Amino acid sequence: MEKYDSIWDMYRKKGISRRSFIKTCTAMTALLGLAPTMLPKVVEAAEKRLPVVIWLHGHECTGCSEAFIRSGAPMTSDVILNMIALEYDDTLSAASGEPFEHHLQEVIKEYKGKYILAVEGAVPPDASGGYCMVGGKSFLEQIKEVADGAAAVIAYGTCAAWGGIQAARPNPTQAVSISDVIKNKPIINVPGCPPIPEVMTGVIAHYAMFGELPPLDNKNCPKQFYGNRIHDTCYRRPFFDAGMFANDFNDAGAKAGWCLYKLGCRGPETYASCGSMRWWNGLSYPIQSGHGCIGCTSKNFWDNDPFYQRLPEVAGLGLGNIDKIGAVATGALAVGITAHLATSAVQKKKRDKKEAEKIKQALEEQDRQSKRKD
Amino acid sequence: MTVKERDFVETSIPDGKQLNLVRYYIFSPFLRIFHWLMVISIIVLFATGIVIMTPMSMGEGQYVALNEWHLSVDWIRNLHFVFGFILTAAFLFRIYGYIVNKGDRLLPNIFKIKFWDDLVEVMLHYCLLKYTHKQFLRNPMARMSYVAIYGLIIVEIFTGLAMYFQVNPNGVGAFLFGWLTVPYGEMALHVVHHLVAWAIFLFAAIHVYMVVRADFMEREGEISSMISGTKILAHLPDDINDIRNEHGKIIKG
Repeated sequence: MEKYDSIWDMYRKKGISRRSFIKTCTAMTALLGLAPTMLPKVVEAAEKRLPVVIWLHGHECTGCSEAFIRSGAPMTSDVILNMIALEYDDTLSAASGEPFEHHLQEVIKEYKGKYILAVEGAVPPDASGGYCMVGGKSFLEQIKEVADGAAAVIAYGTCAAWGGIQAARPNPTQAVSISDVIKNKPIINVPGCPPIPEVMTGVIAHYAMFGELPPLDNKNCPKQFYGNRIHDTCYRRPFFDAGMFANDFNDAGAKAGWCLYKLGCRGPETYASCGSMRWWNGLSYPIQSGHGCIGCTSKNFWDNDPFYQRLPEVAGLGLGNIDKIGAVATGALAVGITAHLATSAVQKKKRDKKEAEKIKQALEEQDRQSKRKD
Repeated sequence: MTVKERDFVETSIPDGKQLNLVRYYIFSPFLRIFHWLMVISIIVLFATGIVIMTPMSMGEGQYVALNEWHLSVDWIRNLHFVFGFILTAAFLFRIYGYIVNKGDRLLPNIFKIKFWDDLVEVMLHYCLLKYTHKQFLRNPMARMSYVAIYGLIIVEIFTGLAMYFQVNPNGVGAFLFGWLTVPYGEMALHVVHHLVAWAIFLFAAIHVYMVVRADFMEREGEISSMISGTKILAHLPDDINDIRNEHGKIIKG
């Protein structure tokens, strides 16, 4: 197969005109949501070498890849065929086995320090544990080897970003996130279970176009996609403010599409683009479908159970809702205070009586002494 | 130090023994203002917080009534935020009082062995194992618990502001407090905020009980001291040195 250095290189080798190339660039500018004045930059980017991407799969379910291949704008096919050079991805490639692993080694050597590493899945940090073996090696070894020569790491999905369901209680493999294992590389967290397809392709397209990481927030998530709470962008927010809630999945409120806050919606503390971009080209998102957000982009969201209560229970204690614990504690305190008060009162009475007797005795003694003097 | 005749506010002779009551000035107005602002805001914050956790909704059609009674989540949340800011601002009074007045600095002397001995004594008293304890301007147990309550309130202020400012994660507020959401996620802040709110509520209940009990058992004007700033004591309190000025004089009311 012929190798292309850039999109422009591909057009040239295929004998397509510069005019068509510019037209494609214009379309791409529009698809990425950039201003028309950005066209020269996009052209410049398209003339550059395609960024090489290695995509590794660790402790995961491939749901993120499933989401990735469903991106509408930019189209996944555009991304993997025209925007990036996806050199290694064991679920999308036709090749397999030893030749494929050999190809990975070659790519690492050839593009050292230049390629992007995209990771899906958590890492079990105990290499001798036998968890998550890839080609006879532990995933830990593989990711360390590949990350060593990477320019940047994209952690796709909650497992890669925070550890995800693998790291949830009781975490039998002690799974950790990518950032716990890779310390010396810039890491972009793209959490979600899975992330929105357009967010996944958008992040990599941003790098492919501008050759730099998108602006990140304090959790290393791209600001443009994780800058707002779902609650603050939710179309059901007015129902929340007015106090119109579904109290049950079967009641009139749920039917009318009112706020799902009381049914445990995690929108108020979840940062994602679900409320603004929605899923499948704006078709819908969980809350629109009548189910509360489970907060899948949040750290430790699996441990914030149960999902259908406003606040999670205090982990592992099995004591139930915090308000219930508080009410029980208040009751116990009331009983305690009453008992303490009663005992103190009895004690005081006894003591006062004793003291009064003492004073009486002293007075009598004085009396006797004064009488003796007389 | 002996108390001089002219400092006596009242001399009574119950049961033939002479008791000299002296008025000591302890709490600055700033501390007292802080205290009562804190009382009001904690009551409002706790009540609204419970409602925010489980908002009122009375079924179809009733939301109009809720809005008319100012019980919509929007209004309750705004109330919660306003009183949260009042509590935060009130803390400034406390800090100012701490700077200007010795009587506002009655905190644990944790580096003195005597403090711990006295703490054990007072605790034995409150466990009903010892009838009396030495008299203090503020007893060691109270000193410890007030530091604890300030700690809890600071936790509430920090977690509260962190959650509040995350509406705009790129803003100044989120820059100052957003780091709190990083280690365990924002949901953990809600859980901590809620648990600590209950802890403060339980503290307040115990505090009110203990103060009322002390007022009745020891007759030292515990409650009125938070209004007048002074306590009237029959004996020289054990920790009187804490309100002496640099010349060794006691500040009197």
